Amino acid sequence: MIRCTLLCLLVAGGALAQVRHEDIAKGAGQDWLTYAGTYSGWRYSPLQQITAANARNVVPKWVYHVPGARGLQSSPIVYQGVLYITAPNSVYAIDGRSGRLVWRYADPRAKAAGPNRGAAIWADKIYFTTTDNYLVALNRHTGALIFNKKYADVAVGTTSTSAPVIAKGKVIVGSSGGDSGMRGFLMALSADTGEELWKTYTIPAKGEKGSETWGNLIEWGGGATWLSGTYDPALNTLYWTTGNPWPDYNGSVRPGDNLYTCSLLALDLDTGKMKWHFQFTPHDTHDWDAQSWPVLIDTEIQGKSRKIVLHANRNGFFYALDRVTGEFLRATPLINKITWAKGIDAKGRPIELPNIEATAEGNWICPSVKGATNWMGQSYNPGTGLLYVLTLEQCGMYFRSSQEPQPMKNFSGGGATEEGGQVFLRALDPKTGKRVWEYPMTGLGRAWTGTVSTAGGVIFSGDDDGNLVALDAKNGKHVWHFNVGEMLTASPITYSIDGKQYVAIASASAVFSFGLFEPAVPIELPVVEIKKK
Amino acid sequence: MRVFAVALLAVPLLAQHGRYLSDSNNPAIGSPQAIAAGTKLFMGSCAGCHGPDGGGGARGPNLVRRSLWHPLSDDAIFQVIRKGVADMPPTKLTDEQTWSLVAFIHALTGPASTNPFPGEPAAGKAIFWGDKAGCSNCHAIRGQGGSMGPDLSNVGGSRPLAVIRESIAEPAKDLYYLGNEAATVELKNGQTLQGVAKNRSNYSLQLVDSQGTLHLIQMRDVKKLTVSDTTPMPTDYAKRLSRTELRDLLAYLATQDIRAKEPVQ
Repeated sequence: MIRCTLLCLLVAGGALAQVRHEDIAKGAGQDWLTYAGTYSGWRYSPLQQITAANARNVVPKWVYHVPGARGLQSSPIVYQGVLYITAPNSVYAIDGRSGRLVWRYADPRAKAAGPNRGAAIWADKIYFTTTDNYLVALNRHTGALIFNKKYADVAVGTTSTSAPVIAKGKVIVGSSGGDSGMRGFLMALSADTGEELWKTYTIPAKGEKGSETWGNLIEWGGGATWLSGTYDPALNTLYWTTGNPWPDYNGSVRPGDNLYTCSLLALDLDTGKMKWHFQFTPHDTHDWDAQSWPVLIDTEIQGKSRKIVLHANRNGFFYALDRVTGEFLRATPLINKITWAKGIDAKGRPIELPNIEATAEGNWICPSVKGATNWMGQSYNPGTGLLYVLTLEQCGMYFRSSQEPQPMKNFSGGGATEEGGQVFLRALDPKTGKRVWEYPMTGLGRAWTGTVSTAGGVIFSGDDDGNLVALDAKNGKHVWHFNVGEMLTASPITYSIDGKQYVAIASASAVFSFGLFEPAVPIELPVVEIKKK
Repeated sequence: MRVFAVALLAVPLLAQHGRYLSDSNNPAIGSPQAIAAGTKLFMGSCAGCHGPDGGGGARGPNLVRRSLWHPLSDDAIFQVIRKGVADMPPTKLTDEQTWSLVAFIHALTGPASTNPFPGEPAAGKAIFWGDKAGCSNCHAIRGQGGSMGPDLSNVGGSRPLAVIRESIAEPAKDLYYLGNEAATVELKNGQTLQGVAKNRSNYSLQLVDSQGTLHLIQMRDVKKLTVSDTTPMPTDYAKRLSRTELRDLLAYLATQDIRAKEPVQ
């Protein structure tokens, strides 16, 4: 123990201890350095102290109650024993062994306070965005402000919710607010200064290529980028998904496919230039943002070894694309009941059924507005070769309003309700797109929890009743669960300190960390001398 | 090894009590004209007892710190001004005058950067970064300066002026140094670390050393811990700096606000 602590201190003590590009690129290990654990979006860890065989011995190690928090959506990052988690307009640094607060940074005067999904780390700084679009860089040891820089204006409907992704010194930040009208974009900011390096809009300007797929509302077209994306260092390409067109439910005022909404974009990291795009749901009228992140794997598909990108979409289908060219390879149903499309054609376009638009009286469509899945994190486990996705079997009513669209007034051109429904955690085979097993959950269809999977052959996820659950990654059998006493709306991660593996997750109001049971060892308190001045 | 200890006190208090909960809807609150009118009235009739920045005097209590601890609602302040309390006499001010005084007192408890302050920020900047005061040896602003003391990048945006003044002039007044103790840690493995103990319990200790590096230490690994019983911040600033220098330093700190368009850097 002492030896390990000394070693850790020496590592932590070095001024040279800085997070580099290659540290993030090699993926999760002791640390968890980026939102999805790896640039490729796997939410996978090679840690294997906790296994499917011993996960029944997992116990809570600590709880940190985030003051005033409700509905936390943040996924922690971990570096050298410190866990960093965000709440709206604030960051908390927590000792990963003890759960004690190390520092807190808060900006209560931000002009908006929406959800925040996490922080990022680069060199010796922690980064996050305020809801009103400031990139904030903090000293990782003390939480001291290094810089804060405004990169977008909340006054034109843009806010920020996603965790930044940092690659090669570029902080990639997205945009939220697509349900009220705004023009979505992705930006790269300098990790050293916060200066803008490039900005790529997800909606073309009038006259630009793609603008012919819109009517007059193109300037407020939406296409927000409110979830973190993924990155392929070898191709130097970012993969980012875009949100719904605006107004959400009234498509008659925006005739056409509405590029590049509900799409996956492949962008060059250095320039922001779009290499290709793929639109999952042309002319969406059901608020089916394409937000659920693109998972990058190399596998054999249709008899050929390929670099592919997997995408479980809110519209009910599970896609595989060639990530070099954007070529559509395959789509299979993610859920059992899809009533808006018969399937996906050979080019990747949905084969739509008649009468699927929202109406004044309401139109009953499956999936519901929440979608077949959503932004909760999926994980890919190279050991089992499976992708784990939380899915929702649910239908809902879609209403259309004939009111004149008004941007930035919380106007979405109608509305939607959902009823009943059941959540399933499903294991999918990326090679075939087929379901291998599923874990049904009891609840009200409210689960918004992601997954993490490990080399120990375990998946951790939340169920629809506020339990953190451990399942056998091979077959989905229940191994363990723990009731956190409130709904889980964030994704779990795993990390290791002093050779001990932890699994951490934010519940609605607190951060929990778990590990294998160990009997307590009484502490002999050291000599404490108070020096009088 | 000097820490801005007292200012920390305001953090949990502001968080818990949230003075804004007691805000009145009267249009005077937050109105620059009303605050300016209130300033005049205050300087003429109230400052003699309560001090020019409401920080308290020989005969009147500190209006800023008191309100952080147990905030009075704006309406209650109005009534006290009107009717008096204990040794404080009642007044014969008009409603408008009284509300402008309330607006001023309300503003006093707000962040220093949101109120007018005397002094020259540019002159204060030289004092902050210079040798005479030595503030930047321990405190940082926007990534420059020391790491042992609290970061001051947002001190003007989060603390009332009177609290900042008190923190500099009388840092040992409140014994709130647990969380900022000067500490020497002898580990069982023979290593010795020195720095500021940011947070310690019977089981763990967080130490920031003079290089600004964080060490997470388990008390089971500690042989001996030596901590100081008072703030590591020098206690002689009231003498070390002239009144003008202190005023300018305060002006500079008042402009340090993460939400300011152009803080003096």
